[in-house]
Amino acid sequence: MEIKISVNVNGKNYVREVEPRTLLVHFLRDTLRLTGTHIGCDTSSCGACTIHVDGVAVKSCTMLAVQADGSSITTIEGLAQGAELHPLQEGFKECHGLQCGFCTPGMIMTAADLLAKNPNPSEAEIRHGLEGNFCRCTGYHNIVKAVQYAAEKMGTEISA
Amino acid sequence: MSNKYIGKAVKRVEDKRFITGKGKYTDDMILPRQTYAYIIRSPYAHAQVKSIDISQALATEGVVAVFTGDDIAQSGINGVPAGWQVNFKNGDIMKEPPHPLLVGTGSTVKHVGDAVAVVIAESKEIAADAAELVEIDYEVFDAVVNPVEAVKEGAPLVHESAPNNIAFDWEIGNPKAEVDEAIANSHHVTSLEFVNQRMVPNPIEPRSAIGHYESSSDRYTLYTSTQNPHLIRLLMCAFVLGIPEHKVRVVGPDVGGGFGSKIFHYTEEALVTWCSKQIERPVKWTSERSEAFITDAHGRDHVTHAEMGFDKDGNVTALRIKTFANLGAYLSTFAPAVPTYLHGTLLQGLYTTPKIHLDMTCAFTHTNAVDAYRGAGRPEATYLLERLMDLAAHEMGVDPVELRLKNFIPPFDGVNQPGYQTQVALQYDSGNYHEVLRRGVAMLGYEEFRKAQAEAAQSNKLLGVGFSTYIEACGIAPSAVVGALGARAGLYEVGQVRVQPTGKVSVYTGAHSHGQGHETTFAQVVADKLGIPLEDVEIHHGDTETVAFGMGTYGSRSLAVGGSAIVKSLEKIIEKGAKIAAHKLEANEEDLTFADGKYTVNGTDKSVAFGDIALTAYVPHNYPAGLEPGLDFSSFYDPANFTYPYGCHIAVVEVDKETGKVSLKRFIAVDDVGNVINPMIVDGQIHGGLAQGIGQALLEGAIFDENGQLINGSYMDYCMPRADDLPMFELDRTETPCPHNPLGVKGAGEAGCIGSTPAVVNAVLDALWSGGFGHVKDILMPTTPERVWRAMNS
Amino acid sequence: MQLTGSHTLAAPIEKVWQMLMDTDILAKIVPGVSRLEKTGENEFEAISEIKLGPVSGKFSGGLTLSDIVEPSTFTLNVSQNSKIGNADASIKINLLALDAQQTEISFEGEAKLSGLLARTGQRVLSGVANTLTKQFFTNFEEEIAS
Repeated sequence: MEIKISVNVNGKNYVREVEPRTLLVHFLRDTLRLTGTHIGCDTSSCGACTIHVDGVAVKSCTMLAVQADGSSITTIEGLAQGAELHPLQEGFKECHGLQCGFCTPGMIMTAADLLAKNPNPSEAEIRHGLEGNFCRCTGYHNIVKAVQYAAEKMGTEISA
Repeated sequence: MSNKYIGKAVKRVEDKRFITGKGKYTDDMILPRQTYAYIIRSPYAHAQVKSIDISQALATEGVVAVFTGDDIAQSGINGVPAGWQVNFKNGDIMKEPPHPLLVGTGSTVKHVGDAVAVVIAESKEIAADAAELVEIDYEVFDAVVNPVEAVKEGAPLVHESAPNNIAFDWEIGNPKAEVDEAIANSHHVTSLEFVNQRMVPNPIEPRSAIGHYESSSDRYTLYTSTQNPHLIRLLMCAFVLGIPEHKVRVVGPDVGGGFGSKIFHYTEEALVTWCSKQIERPVKWTSERSEAFITDAHGRDHVTHAEMGFDKDGNVTALRIKTFANLGAYLSTFAPAVPTYLHGTLLQGLYTTPKIHLDMTCAFTHTNAVDAYRGAGRPEATYLLERLMDLAAHEMGVDPVELRLKNFIPPFDGVNQPGYQTQVALQYDSGNYHEVLRRGVAMLGYEEFRKAQAEAAQSNKLLGVGFSTYIEACGIAPSAVVGALGARAGLYEVGQVRVQPTGKVSVYTGAHSHGQGHETTFAQVVADKLGIPLEDVEIHHGDTETVAFGMGTYGSRSLAVGGSAIVKSLEKIIEKGAKIAAHKLEANEEDLTFADGKYTVNGTDKSVAFGDIALTAYVPHNYPAGLEPGLDFSSFYDPANFTYPYGCHIAVVEVDKETGKVSLKRFIAVDDVGNVINPMIVDGQIHGGLAQGIGQALLEGAIFDENGQLINGSYMDYCMPRADDLPMFELDRTETPCPHNPLGVKGAGEAGCIGSTPAVVNAVLDALWSGGFGHVKDILMPTTPERVWRAMNS
Repeated sequence: MQLTGSHTLAAPIEKVWQMLMDTDILAKIVPGVSRLEKTGENEFEAISEIKLGPVSGKFSGGLTLSDIVEPSTFTLNVSQNSKIGNADASIKINLLALDAQQTEISFEGEAKLSGLLARTGQRVLSGVANTLTKQFFTNFEEEIAS
């Protein structure tokens, strides 16, 4: 039995039939072929699948696709404004906040939510805010710097 | 020639695809007509498969095929062998039972997770559902999980062919009797029994593989999350499936971290390849995380008794070690080399120890395989040496920094002074070991720290500092040397440089990048050597079809070996270009200088740009007689020696006396990885290594119960460092060039992971010692609050 | 995993014993059990659906009673299989008449877990076991009262 859902993903409307048990992350990856959202665990522990649902960071493996019916979703593919990178994307590149890149989409989406709630976080607040996302490559050092870079840049942009 | 890129923190060119969600990892691919494999795995560590009933699963709609070990055996496939042979002390060949792709009826599964059947279906959900309908009857036997228990008389046997579960025993160093005598004559002997616990590498991308057989050409393609596609192809074709190598293409696309665990040839790679042939459709398998925990090769897992002797002045006189290493149920690709040649040979450390002996027993157990994990053998050697050093200093009442400085090998550059010959086979290339420790101690502010520590000792929050100095053997490896030591492959690297007619450059390397940034670092080297913009260079890797050959990335070898191969090809390009330039400039080749992207006639302003040479090479209308057109060279570089990065790591911790909780306050690392091409990337490699080494000291460790069940096999249960477990790292470096490779580089991938673990544990103990718990000699890793609390309250 | 517990029920020991030996009642009061069928003398087949913290699954397998000493003790041997792993438990159950209307029931045993069940969330499993035990006794009390 398939259920029809309607979602807006990265500004585009999709109407699709999904199985009731399909997780949102599988819907994004397999049905819409947006493979920037990754799967790193099966216990909602790693954060590699983090996306925004109606503006809030969500681990997309904790949600069924049918629960997203009617919602507006942003994935890593939809974060940049055309050719212009989001300040976090820029920060991760400038500060070497990524190595293998597998955790990066989830890390950036989590950080975006963090900065939306707290535009000027301390180092401790950044570390606490990223606690739900594993990175095995960077030791988090440069990820923290990347978030600080973005916070500064976004602050500058707002005040300018 | 001026360097525009080498030595600069050039931002990574590969980042763009990763930060925009456009990386292409194996599981991101869906091939036309692709099917999905679900592998049914044993829930028992040791059991006989009595019967398998696949009829219900096979009858399920959407199921394409179900295969068991009997099907595999009928094709004459034995299983996956090791890639390295180590012999017993008495010369007998190691015990090497192959790892079957699927365990057949009547055979025994050897660890939880051993594969028994595979269901292939139109979707992964159907495959998983149908797998539930496969009825497997097991007779369960007792299991053994600990290497010391495994070799005892009467322990449950993993393989009938390996009596007492011994895969092999091994020794290295000076004659045992000499070492015994030196220990007996020592003024002081520091003795320690400890465990280097089992680690799960845990790259965040779970392993994935797609086998694709095409009957039209009788060709196979295997996409797999691997660190070395060519080695996988060689092993799988020649030793497992018996397929001609030229009929197989192996692609390692973007790979989400490896840390060693994706070096090895896994049974699943051969399985999907074989299955694809049977059903003539692509077959994809992607590991679930809980599956990864019981099928990925783990690391470390040593139980050791070590003794270090000192004379009355505090000079080390001897080192005697007995270690039991757990290799798991089967010998994984590099497993035999890790506790032996990558471990025993590093027991000299940075010290002038005159007598060393290691006695190693490598055991099979009913657990998944243990193989190289970031550092591979060298972290175990460093942990052993550095724990003994700090403990000896504590026991003898001397300063741990002074004790190290006293025993360090004197500085040598490997050019004017010869390399340093160790007691354990290696010859170190170059180093100034005193300097890294002095710098680290200065960064720490040692005197002030000891004052603060004395004050803290009166409070509930104890402070401790731990030191660790390490050396590692990287740039793996001279083929003749490793061949003599049992490697079944050479460990050279291949680098091809293809100058396109327009002067743009395509580079093909046998190294594989899964986070290391080769696409940037290698391009920096090429751009500077040819004097062209970085954008004009593109690095290709990870595909056996485009890259001639290669040995992959591990052992911090990519730049030292793979980079050197590229440099060799660049030299050939420049040399041939000079012939063309001489012709164009009507000058003698010997009178030309190549710099900044052009050939110039010495003493004149006559020059020709590299781009013009490239075009001429491909449009050879006016061309030197007898010279072949084209500008494309490939080179094999076989290193003359290992490279030897070294460094000093210092940890500062706070220990809560009431709860035993350890907080890492500072971490200082001064490393010497030789010349540095991209300092940003090198620092990043160090950071990541530190996090994993610190993780071992404070948080991580696989726990098996006595039945062989891994009881912390998920990210909820296995504790890895998260962002708020770590401080900002304080790094510095010295640069002592490697004398025997053209770039003077030594390798940086594993350094952080090798030095950091003992620094942290030493710091925890130092905190306890400062708080009046001087009797505590050891705390098992990870140093959890419970263990630290118990140590203080014992 | 160790399993221990005790509870006092407001019923005479004979009645408690009788209820424990009654398949229909057991199927009703054991949490998660959807079917319990007698397959032989002191042998049963059980199907249950249990959610254990992060993992949930459908279990099936055998239940046997041994060392029966009416009305004071017996040993319950459980061997349950599921896709997420298997559980083998041996639990000794003791009944003690506190007075004519009150019986203390206590149990002690060990469960061996395998597969996904063993490696995911074991640290939360003893909590789950406690919850299930509590539920069992609540159901038992309700059954006595009805």
